[in-house]
Amino acid sequence: MKKDAIGDSLSRVDGRLKVTGGAKYSGEFKITGLTYGVLVPATITNGTIASIDTKVAERAPGVIKVITYLNAAKVPGYQPNESKPASKGLKLFNDNKIYFNQQPIALVIADTFERATYAASLVTATYQKEPFKTNFQKNIDNSVVPQGGNYKDYIRGEADAYKNAPVKIEQAYLLPSEMHNPMELHVTTAFWNADGKLTVFTKSQGVISSQKALANAFKIEQSTVQINSRFVGGAFGSSLRTWPHEIAAAQAAKMINRPVRLTLTREQMFTLVGYRPQTIQKMGIGATPDGQLIGITHESHSQSAVYEEFTERSVNVSRFLYASPNANTRYKVVPLHVGVPAPMRGPGEATGAFALECALDELAYALNMDPIALRLKNYADADPEKNLPWSSKYLRECYQKGADKIGWEKRSSKPGTNREGDWLVGYGIGCGAFGAYRNKAQAYIKLLADGSVNIKSATSDIGPGTGTSMVLIAADILGIPAEKITFDLGDSSLPEAPTQGGSATVSSVGSAVHDVCLALKKKLNTLTGKPENNEDLDYVKILKQQNLPFIELTQGSEGTDEAKKYSMYSFSAHFVEVHVHALTGAWRIKKVVAVVDAGKIVNNKTASSQMIGGAVGGIGMAMTEEAIIDDRFGRLVNGNFADYHVPVNADIPQIEAIFINKPDMHINPLGTKGIGEISLIGVAPAIANAVYNATGKRIRELPITPDKLI
Amino acid sequence: MNQFQYVRPAETSGAIKSVALDANAHFLAGGTNLVDLMKMGIVTPERLVDINNLPLKKIENIQGHLRIGALVTNTQVAENKFVKENFPLLSMAINAGASPQLRNMATTGGNLLQRTRCPYFFDTTMPCNKRVPGSGCGALEGYNRMHAIFGASDKCIAVNPSDMNVALTALNAFVHVSGPKAARTIPFADFHRLPGDHPEQDTTLQKNELITSIDIPTAPFSKNVHYLKVRDRSSYAFALVSAAVALHIENNTIKDVRLAMGGVAHKPWRLTATETFLKGKTVSEDTFKQAAQIAMEGAKAYEHNKFKLKLAPNTLIQALKTASGLTV
Amino acid sequence: MSSKKPCTPPDSDGVPNKTRRDFLKKSSFLTAAAFVPVTVVNAAVNQWDEKLASVFEKTSLHLEVNGVPLNLSVEPRTTLLDLLREQLNLTGTKKGCDRGQCGACTVHADGLRINSCLSLAVTNEGKKITTIEGLSKGQELHPMQEAFIKHDGFQCGYCTPGQIMSAVALIKEGHAGSEMEIREFMSGNICRCGAYPNIVNAIQEVKKGGLS
Repeated sequence: MKKDAIGDSLSRVDGRLKVTGGAKYSGEFKITGLTYGVLVPATITNGTIASIDTKVAERAPGVIKVITYLNAAKVPGYQPNESKPASKGLKLFNDNKIYFNQQPIALVIADTFERATYAASLVTATYQKEPFKTNFQKNIDNSVVPQGGNYKDYIRGEADAYKNAPVKIEQAYLLPSEMHNPMELHVTTAFWNADGKLTVFTKSQGVISSQKALANAFKIEQSTVQINSRFVGGAFGSSLRTWPHEIAAAQAAKMINRPVRLTLTREQMFTLVGYRPQTIQKMGIGATPDGQLIGITHESHSQSAVYEEFTERSVNVSRFLYASPNANTRYKVVPLHVGVPAPMRGPGEATGAFALECALDELAYALNMDPIALRLKNYADADPEKNLPWSSKYLRECYQKGADKIGWEKRSSKPGTNREGDWLVGYGIGCGAFGAYRNKAQAYIKLLADGSVNIKSATSDIGPGTGTSMVLIAADILGIPAEKITFDLGDSSLPEAPTQGGSATVSSVGSAVHDVCLALKKKLNTLTGKPENNEDLDYVKILKQQNLPFIELTQGSEGTDEAKKYSMYSFSAHFVEVHVHALTGAWRIKKVVAVVDAGKIVNNKTASSQMIGGAVGGIGMAMTEEAIIDDRFGRLVNGNFADYHVPVNADIPQIEAIFINKPDMHINPLGTKGIGEISLIGVAPAIANAVYNATGKRIRELPITPDKLI
Repeated sequence: MNQFQYVRPAETSGAIKSVALDANAHFLAGGTNLVDLMKMGIVTPERLVDINNLPLKKIENIQGHLRIGALVTNTQVAENKFVKENFPLLSMAINAGASPQLRNMATTGGNLLQRTRCPYFFDTTMPCNKRVPGSGCGALEGYNRMHAIFGASDKCIAVNPSDMNVALTALNAFVHVSGPKAARTIPFADFHRLPGDHPEQDTTLQKNELITSIDIPTAPFSKNVHYLKVRDRSSYAFALVSAAVALHIENNTIKDVRLAMGGVAHKPWRLTATETFLKGKTVSEDTFKQAAQIAMEGAKAYEHNKFKLKLAPNTLIQALKTASGLTV
Repeated sequence: MSSKKPCTPPDSDGVPNKTRRDFLKKSSFLTAAAFVPVTVVNAAVNQWDEKLASVFEKTSLHLEVNGVPLNLSVEPRTTLLDLLREQLNLTGTKKGCDRGQCGACTVHADGLRINSCLSLAVTNEGKKITTIEGLSKGQELHPMQEAFIKHDGFQCGYCTPGQIMSAVALIKEGHAGSEMEIREFMSGNICRCGAYPNIVNAIQEVKKGGLS
């Protein structure tokens, strides 16, 4: 009675709520006695607050409280004690230290948004200024090797072997800082009940992790914190962690004993909720004249914050994506007086793929070889880093399908020679890989007398359509129509699930749903005295016969030790056709083909959308996005949606998403590998390579704005 | 945003009287710029005089002029049949700016008064002579990628952000204003100022004066026109450089020509010398290249906008090519 | 640690209660233009009656939202967006930037799409406002809403109400003639999830079906 629902194209189960305005996001719940919190940003970049004047603000109409480090109730989790020194990280209103410009120095709470916003403008401060560093490139020499074993230098074979290769490329690639900029502003609404229970509506990718973080901050039992985050208006990594301002909202609610809603402004989103860090990557890559790789060296310097270290895996891709006998990587971070970065979709893997895939393209031209042929020549049939077989890898098929769909044969091997009127035409390829992960998760299932099913798990949906996929998985296993199944998420009181990140939600939570459905069938078979694996179940009939109004159970699920035997990755090949105007440098992305080996695809419709979305993110990374700091002041000069350009509709062509769709049964029982990150990884280099093919201009500093193309 | 008095007079004279009552009063029309400036704390009026009820909403033909009321929205102008047929350059320029939502709100008069997008002007913690005279120019030695290459001063290198203004300059428009004193008419070229020592003054509009309408004289520019805007993304972005080209071509000869550029100066930048050069010339790419060279005389770049020295002439050449039909 | 007593009388520690007093003083200039009696103004200036003052700070506003006539009293600085979301509990209209830079707040005012974040509520006197909540007829979705679901024209859903309001207006404006034109005239609505191609497909279907 298996239904084969997996692989269907199901419209989103919460689609109706989203198109009618009925979906309630964290800042949209009507709460009695609600107050509005607005943060006041510092105007210096490093130093201490000498004095802070809140009197005028406190007198402004409607103001309930102005919180600064002088009067804030201490957050217990921030305080060091004998057994525990002070933790790293920003602690709002805990002391007078300023680590970056626009760090909040006060929180103004008033009875309306307008009054709170205005009163916030009345808070003034004087500072003891200290010298600061915000210029990334000028401070490369201050870089440090991150703490922790994962970031040590990696050497396979001989270090810097590329230097002795007959044909070699030695170049540096610069990626500026990019902001996640989800459309929904980060917002947290918090209130304390009389019994000491804390309820928080917040923009979270992981309600359990938020619950733990707030419980730790206030030193209360985890079960006394309730997190609600059913609808999340995008996040892309910016809500993977609990930010200091979320704790501040709860702190404020406690101080005034009223609900507080703290909403960041779009401008504040540029400093307080992370970003993809500015990174400079030096690539050395060498090959024999016929294109056999001899060595790859990948050295990365990445921006971090003085008050907290941020790291990501930007160099790792060069260790395993191609079969080079020699490979070595180095990774360092540059601590600056800036807000701390956060993983942004495709995180370090996307950063690393930009450098590696551009360098490989440069090598292909140096060898006078087709970029696909070069990749095929150095195809890694097993993981050269871990010395393990792949759990599955169909990258070869990705090359083939992508080349067919984009019309690779139209590509001129000589850059700048393919012209349509005043427009230069180019084609490019960029590839990537992202680990296929699976974490522990639990799911609860309830079968009702009418044959309907409700499943719950404390997972999130920041946009991929988690609930829709889970319903399809359950429909598939239970053999009932999707319409009979509901799925609840985004609530910390539900069975524990991991944070939505690392492309692992379907693998983790989907497996739990898979397992809980199987457990339900088993239980029903046991009740009716049938063999465990009997598939012939009439749910309504069984409950009626057993005289049960419902039947429920919770099941945990986790991976096996297969991960030790295999190297597990999703793979992608992105193909791009770009047109660049010869005179003005204006560009048009004409076509994108995204081919991905991500194992089995659960919901074709939402998965395609996710692939398209990742490609759009990659177009922004390649062509438009760059956060710029004026280093004289340490302040952003384009920290808003008008001057920081995310792609608009007119920038985006039709994007074709193609799935290899072959299950990988080593990772999880569904055969999925994950698509959230891989959808973006490799897009930016594909575009940069296409731009070179079109114009003969090799742009190694993103974004590729028109001024760089004239 | 600070609190303010709000009044909504029904007559132009009443609006002017009302705004004159308070040193810190402002007219409010579409609000797309002013409300933003108020949110950012750059303008903090104690009174807003909402002029949306004033009878300044007509587009009419008057004695060889097209008259556009100050409160006609950008969309209404761009979509107006007569404008599209006779002054397509204006429609093109308006549609190259902002977004459909903003164009539905923004008015003709308001667009003329749109403030610069210079980041130092928008950040109240940074120096800016335009916002706080005497505080210095943050852009001069700062992030000046978007800034002027013509007519700047050591006090200010900001640019006028409007697309519509570029077309109106090329079309020799006039601005009608009313005020506490007699009504007057200002040629468009004299309406916006160069920064000089007083970058705080964007225009020659006097205190408490209100734009009531603009006139566009009839001209033979219904066919060979083009507005080309180069920007960092395909839409909904301010210009790196833009060019407004209106040609009157007979037998492949340029009988009349109007040229202006945007994103290059504190005011919409009219290219009169280049126009003189082009008049009577035969349409050719070479001629356009020479014209672009003339257009660039006196250009001066800063650290981050050197690309404009090449992008500006290239944009002009391409706009001329498109307008003349050399390329489609 | 200094904790402020909430009932401190004004000026007791030498700090003028600048915001309200200065503002209210200005009200004495108002006589030329408005309808507030001078006695009321003076009472407010002298801060004898806070309640009266707060009434004075507000302006009456009559408008129709989704077919419902409303008589409201709002602060002039309140935007249409904040009025809808915070006072009328119509949270379908979204705040994404609050500065006219993203389109999430798009609503129809007298049938025209506008950014409600840059529209002071009081300037909408007498207007008919339609928000996403007013688009469907009861349980029956607007064809554009149906098309967005069918073509998966959204992911996180946050920009979606603005996209749909914009798309409905776009077809009425006559700017949905080609894929290129749709993209250009939908560029005032940013979607960070990157659903643009699906949005364009949804609009094209509604356009072809002659539904709007």
